[in-house]
Amino acid sequence: MRLRIACLLAGAGFALAPVRAADLVAEIRDSLGNLVADAVIYAEPVGAAAPPPRSDARATIDQVNKEFVPRVSVVRAGTQVSFPNSDNIRHSIYSFSPAKTFTTKLYSGREAAPILFDKTGLVVLGCNIHDKMVAWVLIVDTPWYASSGTDGLATIRGIPAGEYRVTATAPSVGLKGYSVPLKLDAAAARQTFVLEAGS
Amino acid sequence: MRIQRLQTRIIVFFVALLTLVQVAAFVFVNAANSKNARSKVEEELHVGQRVFARLLEQNADKLKQSARVLAADFAFREAIATHDGGTIASVLSNHGERIGADAMLFVDLEGKVVSDTLRPDAVADGKPRAFEYPALLTPSRDAASASMEVLDGRAFQLVAVPVLAPLPIGWVVMGFAVDDAVAKDLRQLTELEVSFALHQPSHREPWSVLASTLDTGQQRSLLTHLPADPAASARLDMDIAGAEHQALVIPLDDNGSARIVAVLHRSLAGALAAFERLRFTLIVLALLSLALSIVGSVAVARNITRPLESLAVSAARIEQGDYSAPVAVQRADEIGVLASSLNHMRSGIADREKHILKLAYDDPLTNLANRSRFANELEAAITQATRGDGRLSMLMMDLDRFKYVNDTLGHSVGDHVLREVSARLESTVKQAECIARLGGDEFAILVRHSDGDLADLARAIIKSLEQPILFEGQPLDVGTSIGIAHFPEHGRDAQTLVRNADIAMYAAKRDKTGFATYDPHYDTSQQEHLSLLGELRRAVEHNELRLYYQPKVSLHTSNISAVEALIRWEHPQRGLVPPVQFIPFAEHTGYIKLLTRWVLQEAVRQCGEWLRDGLRLQVSVNISARDLMNRELPDQVSALLSEHQVPAALLCLEITESGFMEDPAHAQKVLDRLFDLGVKLSIDDYGTGYSSLSYIMRLPVQELKIDRSFIQRMATDEELSTIVRSTIDLGHNLGLKVVAEGVEDQAAWNLLRSLGCDDAQGYFMSKPLDARMLAMWIRANDGLFTGKAGKQATG
Repeated sequence: MRLRIACLLAGAGFALAPVRAADLVAEIRDSLGNLVADAVIYAEPVGAAAPPPRSDARATIDQVNKEFVPRVSVVRAGTQVSFPNSDNIRHSIYSFSPAKTFTTKLYSGREAAPILFDKTGLVVLGCNIHDKMVAWVLIVDTPWYASSGTDGLATIRGIPAGEYRVTATAPSVGLKGYSVPLKLDAAAARQTFVLEAGS
Repeated sequence: MRIQRLQTRIIVFFVALLTLVQVAAFVFVNAANSKNARSKVEEELHVGQRVFARLLEQNADKLKQSARVLAADFAFREAIATHDGGTIASVLSNHGERIGADAMLFVDLEGKVVSDTLRPDAVADGKPRAFEYPALLTPSRDAASASMEVLDGRAFQLVAVPVLAPLPIGWVVMGFAVDDAVAKDLRQLTELEVSFALHQPSHREPWSVLASTLDTGQQRSLLTHLPADPAASARLDMDIAGAEHQALVIPLDDNGSARIVAVLHRSLAGALAAFERLRFTLIVLALLSLALSIVGSVAVARNITRPLESLAVSAARIEQGDYSAPVAVQRADEIGVLASSLNHMRSGIADREKHILKLAYDDPLTNLANRSRFANELEAAITQATRGDGRLSMLMMDLDRFKYVNDTLGHSVGDHVLREVSARLESTVKQAECIARLGGDEFAILVRHSDGDLADLARAIIKSLEQPILFEGQPLDVGTSIGIAHFPEHGRDAQTLVRNADIAMYAAKRDKTGFATYDPHYDTSQQEHLSLLGELRRAVEHNELRLYYQPKVSLHTSNISAVEALIRWEHPQRGLVPPVQFIPFAEHTGYIKLLTRWVLQEAVRQCGEWLRDGLRLQVSVNISARDLMNRELPDQVSALLSEHQVPAALLCLEITESGFMEDPAHAQKVLDRLFDLGVKLSIDDYGTGYSSLSYIMRLPVQELKIDRSFIQRMATDEELSTIVRSTIDLGHNLGLKVVAEGVEDQAAWNLLRSLGCDDAQGYFMSKPLDARMLAMWIRANDGLFTGKAGKQATG
């Protein structure tokens, strides 16, 4: 299944910063050289503030066939994440992660209210009823992020030129992330990350 | 010790055999039962081991399940996820109580103990401590592991399950104490004693008990049996506080420096209890059968030995010569057969003994008693007579001329004579205790309580034998000589009595009196003869014998042409011993042969010597009957004659009538050969025997010597002088020279000359002289002797 992240703020960013923009393509591999899917990259500007987040930022993590869809999500802090239940059984979502601790009651359909993820960090979601259901939500303070597909490539589109600290991590497969400083210009940039095992 | 008695031996054998069998059976049963008990216990141990293993496994599974459920409890997870120490501790404690865990720990992903209900203080200091058994902590979400471990010195069944939030954030470790109660539960299920022991190689005493169904004393005992190597399963025989146990040592999980083992064991006592009852029964049975076997073997042994003893008594009776009582054992078995055999033996021995006695004591020829029986009877009679005041007598007799009969007519005739004599004795001697043939022609008769005069009996015997014995119509004339000896005056013992009877018999024979009663005088002369006979041998060796010569003077011419050689014995002590004292006994013993040889040699030598001195004398030598039996005599004579160069005609051999009558055929042969040599032969002592003249006519003799008994009495006895005259005529008619012996006076000399007798010999002319004196005498008287002058000459 293809992962889709809607980023409604992309156009606004370009309007506020009339600098030329480009795409950053990150190739993520593990120490054995395998391409890593569901890896996450995000770029934080160095020496400049990131554009403020939108107050109505929304994200959705669905529950289909007793799985979270998508399993790995990246959201900007302050995003309201809704947890629709596409299954015909009930789920009860919880998180013991410090970035966001919460519990929903058993529900089905769209009964659960959206949950505001206001702190950066990694939140691991589980279902109190179905122990096997796990989802990871990475909460960052930057609009420039992306996740990798099965080709191991994650592409951040339209990122203005400037200096950035680019971080790659893949918590769902147990790989430890790290950051690299990167100076971007108008030209498309390509960066390879090799992730070590760890959490 | 050797057991001599058969009865004891039988009893000992049976009892020993039975005891042996019972001991062997007991040993085998004992071994088999002990083995059974052990294998039964061993089997129980193995079953128990399986049950035990299964129980532990089930227990672990159950605990795992409980732990997993507990770890999945949302509230529990939520509390754990708070990372708040106090909360975690309380939730561990709370939920631990809920599932009955004795220890609850939370261990984070780094293996550090976050919370520990068992040892809360160890965590409270804030320094994280590593969990002792990291191997339990498996990272997998679904895993749950369990093992037996030691916490705080106590045994626990530990179960670790990850806490999911939803990813693992750590492990909750739950501990269930393994204590004596658990051991007792296990014992209930396995029916085995259960102990858990800890092996800590670093400790001075590596083994210690963690939990057990045993009391502390038994536990101490158990520890001493545990093996040095805790990692290996072991099968042990243990002595737990005096009771024998079989044990299995099962190593449990090993997670570090210490190891826990489970020891399952079971006492043999239970398994052996049944056998103990059996053993008691066996012992009782053994003692019962032993007692029965003793009673039985005593009975059997008696059954055998009683009749054997009876047989032994019978055999002893037979041994002592009592054959009267039969063996009194009536049985159908082998002993019965033995008894019957013994009976047969007894009668057989009795019969044979009777037969042997008969052989030993009876003379088979005459059916009279033999010498042995006679000796026994005589001894018995003497013993009896000595005890009482009795008298007894014995007669000893032999037959005259029996040897002649036996030798000339054969043994069958001799045997016939003996049988006939026996028959006559038996019919004549009625009062005899015993009539015996002592051997040959010798008989003995024992008469008890005699009046001391047996002359009548002796005469009766002689009379009974006067009637000739007929053999195939031919009359045989046998006489007898009888010696009589009385007890006690002629001897107080059998030997003496027999000897004296014998002496008396010889006296009777010598004196031709028919019978004689013993007289001590006989004994001395007899003794003298006997000793003389012994000395006679020495006499020849020591040259004590001499020859004297008595001249024969011609009645016609007074010439002296012949002498008779007469032996004299110059005994160094006795002086001159007359021939009559030793010649008869020399004849009797056969020693006469040597004497004759000596006489012949000396006579021929002397004859030769005289011849060389110019004295031609015919020498006469007396030859005994025994000499006539000697076939070598002619050769010896021939050799002597040629040795001394003496013409045969100068030797004259004088033989008595009886001399050749003993074996006339043989004597005739010897005489014929002597005659062929040219030796002269003369009949000596003519008229004393009973020989028939016709027989003498066949002999090659040239001379007849009339016995002195006729000559000495013929002057006074008309009848005798007539006999002498007719004898002289008879001799002359037969062509024989007639010589008269014993001429002692002038009257005899004159009468003989008138009767035409040829030669005279006697004291009237000369006594026997030695060779030198004889030569002198002859030179003085040859041709001159007329009686008176001769008498003067011999003066």
